[in-house]
Amino acid sequence: MLVRFTPYAMVLPIVVFILAFTYWPILVSFDLSFRHWDFMSSEKPFVGLLNYSELVRSDEFWNSATITLIFTVISVPLRLALAIAIARYLTTESKTVRALRGAFFLPAVTSSVAIAVIWSWIFSTDAGVANTLLNNLGIAKVPWLQTPSLALWVIIIVNTWKQLGYDIVIYVAGLQAIPEDLYEAAKMDGGKRWHTFRRVTFPLVMPTTYFLLIVSVIESFQIFTIVDVMTQGGPAISTDMMVNMLYRTGFALFDVGKGSALAVLLFVFLVVLTVLKSRILGKRVHYEH
Amino acid sequence: MNTSGLLLRTTAVAVGLLFLSPLLYGIWISFQTANRFFSGNGEMTLQNYVDAVEKMNFLRYLFNSLIVSGGVTILSLATSIMAAYAFSRFEFRGRDLIFGLVVATLMIPGHITLIPNYLNFARVGLLDTYAGLILPAVANGFATFFLRQYFRGIPRSLDEAAWMDGANAWKVLYRVIIPMSKPAIYAMGLFIFLGEWNSYVWPLIATDSPDMLTLQIGLARLYKMDAQEGLVNWPLVMAAATLTMLPVLLGFALVERHLVRGISMGAIK
Repeated sequence: MLVRFTPYAMVLPIVVFILAFTYWPILVSFDLSFRHWDFMSSEKPFVGLLNYSELVRSDEFWNSATITLIFTVISVPLRLALAIAIARYLTTESKTVRALRGAFFLPAVTSSVAIAVIWSWIFSTDAGVANTLLNNLGIAKVPWLQTPSLALWVIIIVNTWKQLGYDIVIYVAGLQAIPEDLYEAAKMDGGKRWHTFRRVTFPLVMPTTYFLLIVSVIESFQIFTIVDVMTQGGPAISTDMMVNMLYRTGFALFDVGKGSALAVLLFVFLVVLTVLKSRILGKRVHYEH
Repeated sequence: MNTSGLLLRTTAVAVGLLFLSPLLYGIWISFQTANRFFSGNGEMTLQNYVDAVEKMNFLRYLFNSLIVSGGVTILSLATSIMAAYAFSRFEFRGRDLIFGLVVATLMIPGHITLIPNYLNFARVGLLDTYAGLILPAVANGFATFFLRQYFRGIPRSLDEAAWMDGANAWKVLYRVIIPMSKPAIYAMGLFIFLGEWNSYVWPLIATDSPDMLTLQIGLARLYKMDAQEGLVNWPLVMAAATLTMLPVLLGFALVERHLVRGISMGAIK
């Protein structure tokens, strides 16, 4: 008799956790985005769409939306191109190749803060390796992280270095799923390597590319940690990503309403992308090992 | 070994070292005295680690990170194992809906919960506490999904034999399912631990007092404060960074294959 209730008892704890710390907060975010509040006062007056309209009329919002978009549009194709180029050489299962895949993958599971700190040193003006190398070529010191036109590129380099291993691992899985005889057939046709890549490898690995494309766009729009440690959005808000702006608006300026409105806008955008992802990927063929 | 094998190996080692050179170089710096770092003369030392631990509170941060990551791992595994078992073995009303809600948390961008969770935790006085750091990270849609898949692969005849012997659902879970899934559970636990170890945004918001910071926040603060003053003690910062990366560096060699497989499975699902 009790068995009827047992499964409910078993799922209850996780259900409590997801309701309390995920779903309920989403509703609260929507509610707060229509209110004016500073964390302190006892009143949270309803202001309708005021937070949203102020947001979309502010330069600050469009600045961080644009910068996040530029960051995404540059770093995603860069990551995918590098990843597929490298993954092609790492599809065999020898000890050596596995170790090399591991080396590429290590930064992806390493602390973003530690990585940001290490790269801050590499790109630091006086003590950094980047400037030492340039110095040997006779080029004067470059203040990488203090120059608005350069800081975003540094962020792109660091983020690419960190995430590349993940993309490689996924591409390797995709490439390994391509049947060997297709390569043989291309070879019989006298295909050159580039030809084989373009006609056989690239089309067949397309589902993986779609998957990585959408996942890395979603993830790029949420970049925060590397920026927070290396530049805090600066210099002159040249690296101010959307989540960095959200953090500042909510937790430094205590504008709860506007921070929530920003959170909701980003949330809706990312959920649309996610739904798009499942639509596209729902149709693809799976190869599982 | 033949020549081409040797060549392949040498190339692989060179490429791997080159790729990881920023990280390795950073660790190398952590063993240098400030004198050696800035002038090139002087000795190698462990003093930076001693300083990080004694002067900078890093032992406390290390302890906090262990408590928080350990707590999240245990609670995540417990809630996920129970739920995954129920989802994989029982028919019950609302099952698919509940499963959908749990797995959907995987796709929900975390930033949307930051302000409300901060408000709720402030209201009940859980900011700056271990509970405040642990609770929001417990529910793990990926672990639940992954373990459900794994449990489904365990032959039902094993459960049924236990049921025949008069076991109830909890005993079947404890005596059959969990022992059969140990490798998957260990891999998942490690995955959760490392993920939480590296977690940054929530601990940044939920902690303030110097005694409650995790390693990530302690390191970020140390670096940011130095950088603001325009004078960073790089060897000391690198020692702190190395401490922060330690469990990943230690655990990685051991479990790299599990991690990589887990990641690929997440993609293929």
